[in-house]
Formats: sequence, C-alpha cells, structure tokens
Amino acid sequence: MSLSVLLVEDERELRATLAEALRVEGFTVHTAASLAEGLALVEHAAPDLVLLDLGLPDGDGETLLAAVRRERSIPLLVISARDHDGGKVRLLDAGADDYLVKPFSIGELLARMRVALRHRGRHMVAAHTRYEQGGLHVDLSAHRVSLDGAEVHLTPTEFKLLARLVRSAGQVVTHRTLLADVWGGDCTEQTHYLRLYMAQLRAKLEAEPADPKLLLTEPGVGYRLA
Amino acid sequence: MLFRPDARPSLLPPLLIWLGAFALVMLLDTRIDLAAQAMLMLLASALTALWLPPGAALGLNCAAMLGFDFFFVPPRAGLGPHLHEHVVLIGATLGVSGLAAVLTSRLRAQVGAAEAHAREAEQLQRFGEALRASQAAAGRPDPALLRDTLAPLAQARDAAAPAAVVLLVLRATLPATDDDGGAEWLGSPDADARTGLWMCSRRAIAFGPGTGRYEELPAFYLPLRGLLGARGAALLPVDPQAGPEPLARLRAQAQALCDQMGQALERAEAERAAQAARADAQAQALRNTLLAAIAHDFRTPLATILGAASALQGEAGAPERLDAAARQRLAASIVEEARGLARISDNTLQFARLDGQAAALHLDWESAEELVGAALHRQRGRSEERRVKARVEPGLPLLRCDAALIHQLLDNLIDNALKHAEGSAVEVRARRDAEQLLIAVRDRGPGVPPAERERVFEPYERGAAARARRGSGVGLALCRAIAEAHGGSLCYRARSHGGAAFELRLAVTEPPQ
Repeated sequence: MSLSVLLVEDERELRATLAEALRVEGFTVHTAASLAEGLALVEHAAPDLVLLDLGLPDGDGETLLAAVRRERSIPLLVISARDHDGGKVRLLDAGADDYLVKPFSIGELLARMRVALRHRGRHMVAAHTRYEQGGLHVDLSAHRVSLDGAEVHLTPTEFKLLARLVRSAGQVVTHRTLLADVWGGDCTEQTHYLRLYMAQLRAKLEAEPADPKLLLTEPGVGYRLA
Repeated sequence: MLFRPDARPSLLPPLLIWLGAFALVMLLDTRIDLAAQAMLMLLASALTALWLPPGAALGLNCAAMLGFDFFFVPPRAGLGPHLHEHVVLIGATLGVSGLAAVLTSRLRAQVGAAEAHAREAEQLQRFGEALRASQAAAGRPDPALLRDTLAPLAQARDAAAPAAVVLLVLRATLPATDDDGGAEWLGSPDADARTGLWMCSRRAIAFGPGTGRYEELPAFYLPLRGLLGARGAALLPVDPQAGPEPLARLRAQAQALCDQMGQALERAEAERAAQAARADAQAQALRNTLLAAIAHDFRTPLATILGAASALQGEAGAPERLDAAARQRLAASIVEEARGLARISDNTLQFARLDGQAAALHLDWESAEELVGAALHRQRGRSEERRVKARVEPGLPLLRCDAALIHQLLDNLIDNALKHAEGSAVEVRARRDAEQLLIAVRDRGPGVPPAERERVFEPYERGAAARARRGSGVGLALCRAIAEAHGGSLCYRARSHGGAAFELRLAVTEPPQ
C-alpha cells in the first residue's frame, strides 16, 4: 500500500504541481485548499505525512499543526513563503518536523519527506536507540559510539547531546530544545555551551569539521543529524 | 540725568538754589541795584523748575519771591507802596519758572516715550533673534520663548492671584473642533481661558480691554497671526484699571510679539513642508531607479525561463524535435534561472530591511566553523560541483552575530565566486587576525578591475564583465550592509597571483563563561 500525503496549500498552481510530482513518486495525495478542509482530511483520510502551507484563506496553518500534534505522531513538514527564523523556531518547537521556505525544488522536498518518514512510523523504535550513517554507529542502549569501526570516546555531555540528536535524526532540533534537554530548563539561553560541545562532537565525528556531513547546522535555528 | 523720565522730584536742590540766591543778593546788596537782584531771583526760579513738577515749582517760587520782596525790595521788611511793580516782578518770575517747569516735564515725557519705544523695539528684535536661534537649533521656534517674553508684561489684578500667561499653539492646521489634542498648551488654562484661546485662534482677532470685544475681560486674548491666519493664541492677564493708554501700548507690544511668533511658526511650517516635498521627490526618484534595476534583474532570468519552458511545451506536439539531452539542458536552465530569481528576491528583500532605520539583528553566540559549514552544505545541495573548500583555523573564538544574515552573506559570496571565476577552485577561509575574525572567500578567477573595486559594492552596480553575464544586483551591496550592521567590514582584495578575495572582518568579543 502506498503512503498517503495530505497537501494543504491554497495556491492552485503550486498545489497542482506538487500533487502531480508526489503522485509520480508513488504517494497517494489528498489535497486541501483551506484550513477547514485540511482539518477534515486529517480526521478522515488518516494521512501518513502532512505538507502544510501556513498562510491559508481561513486561518493560520499553525492551528492545523496543533490539531495534528494533539492526536497523532505523523510527520508534518511546513512549507511557507515566510522566511523568518523566529517563526521557524516556533513552529519546530511546536512539533513541526521540518520547515521548507518557498521556493524549493521537488528534489529537496522529497529528500526532506524521506528523512521525516525514515525516522517516524514503523521504524520509530529502532530509530530511537540506534543510528547508522556514513560510518558512524550509535547505539544508545549500549551507550556505544563508533566511527568506521573504531570506538569513539565521548564525555557524558557530548554523549547526551549526540543522543538527543539521534532521537530526532533527520529533524531540525532547535537550540532551545537541545539546551533544555541536555543542560536543563534554566540554560535555554546559553547558546555558547552548545557551540562549544557541537565543535567538540564535530572534531571527533567528522572528517572535515568545517565541511560537516552528519552534524549539520541550520543557521539561527538549530542542528540536524543527517 | 535731570531730564530722564524716572528722575525723582527733589526739594533739596531748589532749596539750596534759593538759599544761594538769597546769600548772593545779601552779599551784593549794596553793590548791585534792584533790577540786577531781580534778575538773580529770576535765574534761581528758572533753575528750581528743573527739579520740580510745575505746581510745586510755582508754589516754592511764589513763596521765595514774596520773601525777596519782603526783605530786599525797599521798603525793606514790609511790602512797599508800589504794589503794582511787585506784582509785575513776581508775576514775570513765576511765569518764567512755570514755563521752565512745563518745558522740563514735557521733555521728560518725550525722553520717556523715546526710551520706551527703544525698549520695545529692542525687545522685539531680541525676541526675533531668539526665535531664529531656536528654529535653527530645534527646527521649530520654541513657543516657550513667547511665554517667557510675555510673562514680565503680565499684570496681576491683586497679589493673591498671580498673573500667568497661557499659550495655545496649533500643531498643524486648525482642527474642526476645539480638540485640545490638536494644540500644544503652555500654562494651565481654566475652561474659560480654553474657550477664549480657541475662539481667538479661530477668528484671528484680539479680545480684551480696548479691543472693542469683551472689554470687561481682565486679560488680553491675542492671536499669533501669520500671513495665512492665526497659528494659535496667547492669554496675557492685565489690570483693566490701568487706563486706556498704557493698556493700548501694552497690547500693541504684546500683539507685535505674538505676530512675530505666528510668522515664525508659519515660516517653520512652510520650510518643513518644502523639505518634506524635496525628500519625497528624492525618494521617489530613488525608488524609480531601484524599481527599474530590480525589474531588469528579474526580467533577464524570466526571459530564459519562459524561453526554455515554452520550448519544452511546444515540443509536446513534435516529440522528435528535441533529444533527451536538449530537454535536460532546457530543464536545467529553468531550474538554474529560477534559483537565481529566488536569490535576487531574497537579497532585495533583505537589503530593503537592512537599509531601513533600525533593523533588529538576532544576535547570538555563533561559531565560524558552523557558519562556514552551513554555507558549504547549502552550496552542495544546489549543485554537484565540488569546487568549494573550507579552511577554518581550529580554536577560533565564538562570534556575536546574526547567524541567518552571516549565512546569507557567505552564501552570496560563494555563489558570486563560483559564477565569476568559472572553473577555478573557491576557498572559504576563517582565521583570527589580532582582535578580529577574518572570513575570506577567495578564488583564482579574473578578479575585479581596479576601477570597479568599490563600485561593485553599490546596489545595482556590476563589473563590466558581470554586466555582460549575470548581475548580482544587490548581492554585494547586501553583503556589505550585513557586515556593517554587525559593526564589521567587507572589502575586496586582489590576490597576488591573480584572483579575487572578499574579506569579512568582525570584531571578536569575549563570550560569557
């Protein structure tokens, strides 16, 4: 059975183009042009993934994000023309899996959707404790990290930081979330801790720390484990 | 001194003069005849009139002459039989002294009037200067100047109620209703004063004693008249019992001051309007230039997209005309040009935002390594080419900056280098240079000719080579604006063995522990 995608987008041309491209990729596509329609389809069509535009004629897409998050843990990607980091961070903190700013290419969208799906749904349990990518193996339950077969020693804070990223692999994790989960709720403004520990992690895990392949930076928003 | 209007009448000098005259007459009694003595008396009586008001002078001189007559004119110690001569002598003396006294007091009055005029003229002139000075300093004549100048002119009716000047100065044009928000108030008016001042502003005529309107008021309501109407009104408390002439003088002077204020306000407003119109015209011209340039920047890639897309669309009817490679090329150019358009719109929007007054930067502690890494990652996502390399010195201090803006800056510089230095490797290098962090994007392309090295940072200026190819539009101008918004700099440096280097320098500050 193919995966079903709910596309909430009020712009007709973009909706048609995206729906077409997604059908070509083998998804079952439900489209909605308004917030009300989108809310109804979340209930009845039981989509596996939601693509959500923010500026809708009858309200803000954030309402739908909240509704989806109350009931399900399906991946939700925001697509919006609003390129504003504050808004991005708020949506990610509210539970969006990712945020694409228009214009974007279909290739980029599909890649983000694949990542979101890979780390959700049926593989969720496995994804929570194990991570394998580009020679890096992380086993959270065994508390073990290895790179190209060789064991890597991490300090307790480094490990907690990496573990937090592994649990949301593929997703952007905001600075605030990382600081709250690793250092505690009263450290959410101490971004410089995060910079220093991320630099240490990259030095240990990346071949070229200045050109990272795994520990990716989303400037002004947070980090993402590829 | 003697003719000043404020010279006090004094009895001492006249008495001394008379004593002196009598002493002289007694001394010379036997040597000069009666006529000469009478002349001395006449001189003394004329002199005494200088110190005394006419009535007092006449009284004193009359007494003195009677004394003279009694003591010196034969028969001595008594009024003699030649009464008519005595009457003539005394009458003539009194006449001369009365004349002198009247002339003196008239002269005093004239000097007084001249001095008052001079004082008033000087006050007007000084007030005018003060208005000009405050206009030059604050762009608007200060109404407080008028209040402070009028305050000493105010007359309290009684000591218990202190006289206070109240000013109403219109903010803009006369509002339709007496809305107190439409005016600036100086002083604290009661309800009557408010109504009176509004009415005075509206009708641009004075009320109060001597104006023929509301004569019974204990104050003048004076409009601040300009050429086009009143710019407000002033309330000046006066004592209605002061008499019509002093009140008229006071009103003329106060009205002159108010009119000066009104004209100054009107002038200031006209100047402001002219300035606004000039600025508006300039902004309009700039906007037109920018719009033309933006339209040009958008139109070029749009033409390519339209061309390629319509070729692909037309191909549907005749599948043989295009081979797979040609289709791929057309699709690729559409993607490429659309990306260019997205960049131009991002840059233009960001530039407009930074160009505005206080663009809020979202400052945070950022790592140069991450910023460079993110810019490279973004480049990788766009094309398969692997021409960009990063070299980041280890152990660099954290930067206090807006990550999204610095990211946009690096992304533009890298894109620029890839575009202008075709085939050459591009290097992004970050290192510490004394108290600055230096991030340079360097290539081995043709570089920028010396004449254009500053011009490339102007919005919509492009190098000659670039003009033939693609424009970066506001790209480099935006990069420099971002650097400067951070208190840093962005400069071009020609590399010694050929190629361009764009160097971003940001100050290093100590991060918290």
